Amino acid sequence: MPTRAFVSPWSLSRWLDRSSLLLFFAAWELAPRAGGLLETFIAPPSVVLMTLWELLLSGELCDHVTISLGRAIAGFTGAALIALPLGFLLGGNFRTFERIVTPVLRFLGQVNPFSLFPLFIILFGISELSKEAMIFWVCIWPILFNTITGVKGIDPLLVKSARSMGTGVVPLFFKVILPAASPGIFTGLKMGAGTAFFMLIAAEMIGASCGLGWLVWNAQINFQIPKLFAATVVISVLGMILNMLLVTLERRLLGWLDSSPNH
Amino acid sequence: MAERRSGIDYYGVAVLLILWELAPRLGWIDSQFFPAPSAIFAEGAKLWADGTLVLHITVSLKRTFLGLLGATALAVPLGFVLGGWFPRFTRFLSPLLNLFGQINAFSLFPLFVLFFGIGELAKFSIIFWSCLWPILFTTIAGVQGVEPLFIKLARSMGGGRGALLVKVLIPGALPSIFTGVRIGATVAFLMLIAAEMIGASSGLGWLVHNSSVNYIIPRLYLAALLIALLGTMLNYSLHWLENHLIHWKTS
Amino acid sequence: MAGVVDVPQQIQTDAKIVVKAITSVFHLKKTRTEPAREFIALKEINLEVKKGEFLVLVGPSGCGKSTLLDILTGLAQPTSGAVYIDGNKVTGPALDRGIVLQGYALFPWRTVRQNVEFGLEIKKVPKRERRAISDNFIHLVGLDGFADRFPHELSGGMKQRVAIARALAYDPEVLLMDEPFAAVDAQTRESLQDELLRIWEATGKTILFVTHSIEEAVFLGDRVAVLTPNPGTLREIVKIDLPRPRHNSDTRSSAEFGWIRRKIWELLQNAPHESRHHLNAVPVAEAISPTASL
Repeated sequence: MPTRAFVSPWSLSRWLDRSSLLLFFAAWELAPRAGGLLETFIAPPSVVLMTLWELLLSGELCDHVTISLGRAIAGFTGAALIALPLGFLLGGNFRTFERIVTPVLRFLGQVNPFSLFPLFIILFGISELSKEAMIFWVCIWPILFNTITGVKGIDPLLVKSARSMGTGVVPLFFKVILPAASPGIFTGLKMGAGTAFFMLIAAEMIGASCGLGWLVWNAQINFQIPKLFAATVVISVLGMILNMLLVTLERRLLGWLDSSPNH
Repeated sequence: MAERRSGIDYYGVAVLLILWELAPRLGWIDSQFFPAPSAIFAEGAKLWADGTLVLHITVSLKRTFLGLLGATALAVPLGFVLGGWFPRFTRFLSPLLNLFGQINAFSLFPLFVLFFGIGELAKFSIIFWSCLWPILFTTIAGVQGVEPLFIKLARSMGGGRGALLVKVLIPGALPSIFTGVRIGATVAFLMLIAAEMIGASSGLGWLVHNSSVNYIIPRLYLAALLIALLGTMLNYSLHWLENHLIHWKTS
Repeated sequence: MAGVVDVPQQIQTDAKIVVKAITSVFHLKKTRTEPAREFIALKEINLEVKKGEFLVLVGPSGCGKSTLLDILTGLAQPTSGAVYIDGNKVTGPALDRGIVLQGYALFPWRTVRQNVEFGLEIKKVPKRERRAISDNFIHLVGLDGFADRFPHELSGGMKQRVAIARALAYDPEVLLMDEPFAAVDAQTRESLQDELLRIWEATGKTILFVTHSIEEAVFLGDRVAVLTPNPGTLREIVKIDLPRPRHNSDTRSSAEFGWIRRKIWELLQNAPHESRHHLNAVPVAEAISPTASL
């Protein structure tokens, strides 16, 4: 098309690519200045940033972030520690057993974590354990299912050719099975980590006395609008950072895969 | 999954149910915390008889569908307009849309409550918001992913914009749109339960919350199981609908 | 640019298709900063196709034959020059020309019948009439009994037959075919060629067929137009005097066939020397064919 000839230089077009974000932030900054309801309900970015700074200085922000991340990591690690070996066993060694338990596992995986949360509270009290149990529950299913699929999906020819070269059981596992199943495993870990953070916020809103989810909910109840916006921003940014980290990690670890955009 | 399942595969379910029934009766586990399936079923029969169960189910389903329908009604036409007619504008908007899509919908819930109060509107808006993005993104991707040869061919036959839309773009983008609706429905149902737990006076999420507050453990289990069943059914019916609407797809 | 040269809307001619002084220039950029570079895809192409004639365009990839076909279809505009069908200037796509593309381009959500009826729907032919016409053409391409199958249930050769039936169904007088048999295996290809000749003889359409296979060109065509790349120029038009009806089994083995094939091969080999330096630019030109965008 003839218009192709007039594409702006790289650096400028890069700014243009982001211009919708800039416009959005500008609108957000200006809207509350219009007064009325907007002023009551919306804190502009400048105020939000100041609130964030204050929260940071008082150490409050750091505490809540550490607590939330600690819960997420504890639940996620626990889930991975159980789901990975279990996935390898079910997907690799006990195929018939896997067929029998899969419907049960699938159903359990469908159980809405929120409906279990009150149960966890009843069982473990409003302690850290109830939140960690919730994250554990959320993470274990994607990791388990994707590991099983990954292990089952290994090309038998790979195993066969490694065997024919006289590979023992342990090297076979580390040199063939683990790398071959890694895309599936990684998908599971990624899904798990993504939902873990997502669910944690909800869990903290429902039953907690600290953490980022609590911070948001508490700010809403006490009508501390700048704090509410600040906490929402922190959660969103943390979620995006987590997402970016996972994508980078996947690229590093699984660079050998065909890069298809739908992964 | 693609695997064919036979009767044997459901032995696992049967064994689990029998164990679960026996364990509290034999005193292996505390029946206060783990009521037997029969106790849960009895609770279910009771609630069914007085009509509350049907009420909660319909309320929850209605909320889910309203949010999902609202989001679909906005996201699909918008996706077509953005993806099909204004590719440049879409490029311009995409960082912003991505930002909105990535924001944890839960962290917005307090905001929605702030704006819309604790009533139906807050629940509708949270479901609407969380369904909107997956459907919008998949619609845009679907429209832009329609094979250019099809468009070339339709244009070479002198097909105008209307014919192109109805005969090529819509059927071509449909599978992708459906993926979005399915993701949206899953997210919607999840959100709904959380929203009902936080602020509602009816619905299955409320039933869970209320049972736990009043310490009626069998009812808590009942509600949790019903939510899981309903979620599964929702998923299956969407799959069924997809297979019937898009029957031309290769497996 | 050169488009300001005034071209008449109508001309006096007996020929079905007249290609008059077509030149097509693209502006290419390898990176976003580099200034645009001109790439001449077609230069001063003149061509006449008689009514009922089977003309084949042959040339290596990048000689601009697909661009020329896009211009004939009306999907692309030439930088200068014009195309006339029955003496009337082509201004856009229309149903007086049927088109068959390389990748079948069958709509996967439509059955064989619905694919064949696609153009008829655009033409707003009533349903009952459509059905009679599609029955007829599905029969013509030998796909009776497959009318209600979906494309993914068909083999490559069958798909191409559907594409041909679809192009014939709305009764265009001209059939434009862009390497239609490039994607099928050799045996299917030969039987499709026989089939195409049979259909052509039965319907009396004017066919313009693009291919990069010399053999296919010689076997099918009344005349073969040889295009050479960089810039895409019409090198020569070779008349093929092989007797008709032709059949793959005996026509190909005749001495005359081999002689003509050899002649065209030499024409392509002895293309002007400068062309080889630019060969790397060729795929880009194909890729930016202006019809690729919506």
